[in-house]
Amino acid sequence: MENTKFKHLIKEHSIYFLLIVFIIIGMFTSEHFLTVNNFINLLQRSSVIGLISLGMTFVIIGGGIDLSVGSIVAFSGIVVATLMTNGMNLVVSLIFTIFLTLVLGLIVGIITVKFNLPSFIVSLAMMVSARGLALLISNGSPVFGLAGPFAFIGGGYIGKIPFSVILWFIMSIISAIALKYTAFGRKLYALGGNEEAAFYSGIKTSYYKAISFGISGLLSGIAGIVLASWLTVAQPSAGEGMELDAIASVVLGGTSLSGGSGTIGGTIIGVLILSIITNIFNLFGISSYYQYIFKGLIIAGALILNSMVVVREKQ
Amino acid sequence: MLKKYSLILLVFLLILSFSSIVAVADSPFVGFSQVTIQSPFYVTLMESAERTAKEMGVKFVYLDAGNNIGKQNNDVIDLITRGLDVLLLNPVDPEGVAPAMKRAEDNNVPVVTVDRPVEGKYKEAVFVGRKNYEMGVEAGKKAVELLGGEGNASGKIIEIQGAAGGAVMRDRRDGFHSIVDKEEGIEIIQGPYCEYVRSQAISAFQDLIQTHPDVDMVYAHNDDMALGAVQVLEQHGKINDVYVIGIDGLMEAVKAINDGRMDATVLNDPAYLGQLAVEVALGVLEGEEYPEFVDAGTGLIIKDNAGEFYDPAKDFAEYIPED
Repeated sequence: MENTKFKHLIKEHSIYFLLIVFIIIGMFTSEHFLTVNNFINLLQRSSVIGLISLGMTFVIIGGGIDLSVGSIVAFSGIVVATLMTNGMNLVVSLIFTIFLTLVLGLIVGIITVKFNLPSFIVSLAMMVSARGLALLISNGSPVFGLAGPFAFIGGGYIGKIPFSVILWFIMSIISAIALKYTAFGRKLYALGGNEEAAFYSGIKTSYYKAISFGISGLLSGIAGIVLASWLTVAQPSAGEGMELDAIASVVLGGTSLSGGSGTIGGTIIGVLILSIITNIFNLFGISSYYQYIFKGLIIAGALILNSMVVVREKQ
Repeated sequence: MLKKYSLILLVFLLILSFSSIVAVADSPFVGFSQVTIQSPFYVTLMESAERTAKEMGVKFVYLDAGNNIGKQNNDVIDLITRGLDVLLLNPVDPEGVAPAMKRAEDNNVPVVTVDRPVEGKYKEAVFVGRKNYEMGVEAGKKAVELLGGEGNASGKIIEIQGAAGGAVMRDRRDGFHSIVDKEEGIEIIQGPYCEYVRSQAISAFQDLIQTHPDVDMVYAHNDDMALGAVQVLEQHGKINDVYVIGIDGLMEAVKAINDGRMDATVLNDPAYLGQLAVEVALGVLEGEEYPEFVDAGTGLIIKDNAGEFYDPAKDFAEYIPED
């Protein structure tokens, strides 16, 4: 028991160590890197993908994968923008939108468990349908005119801290507590680790698995609201490719793609590392084609590192 | 141990990547946030801007937003953090660049938008671009002429559309319709959105030609899609019965016009656009006055003049204004 704990510590620390390496590299590459402003920029830009990655952590720990998150970001932005530009009250629009995205997530979860399908395929179906819904509602055009108090969610500041970062922080704490200190969290780990064993030990595996997709939908919905608010426009094409960034962040953060392990803290670091890579490249002025290649290499490198720790742990 | 090695490898890779960059001395710093560099039009535009900047001896950095408005805002904020003097911006979305525009304004960085304008109440310096509506009008006029002339034109046109919801698509569509819709004898079938991509246009047109074998003309919102239609028409042995009009002046389309496989395209030379954008950006820095919209101009390529425009070394037909 002690031994696994110790190895867990190493595993967690390897990703923190990597973050520190990147911060040091950042310091040496640009005098602009280690400034308060740049740091705030980094957190701000991480908040949308950060929120999505929190939900993705639940799903992956439970042994699933959710490809629909990017489309749900678009769907959520379009729905909230359409409601508000048609005169609905801000709070009601927000609640209604988040509720809808929770339902979309639950639909993925319920179909997955009910028909015993791979979540990869079910969420792929939702990825396509939710994008279609966003295009249908918006008639293919961006919805703009989102100024006023709504713009505060993604673009406002409390003191020097962007509100979206505070929102991400609060959601992270709630998520961490839910995973670590509740029966729900423990059961999710158990089912991700070995679904059959969890089932026979009396856990309602399908119930918890479905819930994990609901959480992912809900957090992606919040992320979509933050994004639309920050940009002051909702686009039916928003969020494209975010599912891959979220999955990369979660796995970078030490969550095993086969389920059963992982932490919210790791995911947050994973998100930050991905943001920092682009930030350093931009500040240093590396041209875009190289950026893609190096970003890919760095993700691959970090994943190899991660998997080696996991393999050792299993031995 | 392995962990250590892979970390060393990572750091080594990074250092390797950074060492390949050469520092540029203190000169005006022009940054270009480009919507995407995964299409020949934008690659040519960007390369031309880079070449012009190098010729004028200024520091030039471009960043690719990858069609992602969030990334574009972040890229611009990073450029401003680095101490940018003037920003060239081709916005992914005219509204969605609000955070970037605000940051530029807060830091007194002038913005020159290229190819697409931004919307909003910013002190946007200048928009260097072309009137896509005008291009649609040019295509429409040629279409009417080919189908029998004003007042007498008749026929069935299939329109292959660009990206859903995009301003370029809207303008190229509306400009075309503003001319063609006046003709009572012309019927327009609006095809699906094909995202300016040839492969999508081919599969869409394969379906369309089944339901509309009596088509007389194809109007595509860009040449890549028009060439897709040409390909399908050739497979069906109908290339000589159906007119094809595109937009952009893609060299492949110029060649097709010269060979008699296509009928017209509307000039949209990205190289001249990129050059003009950098010239205007540096002019703005030096305090020169420009109108809000600097029109890079356009023209028509047809069988008669395709030979003059044909230059296999280029990706797009060259447009140089007359003055």
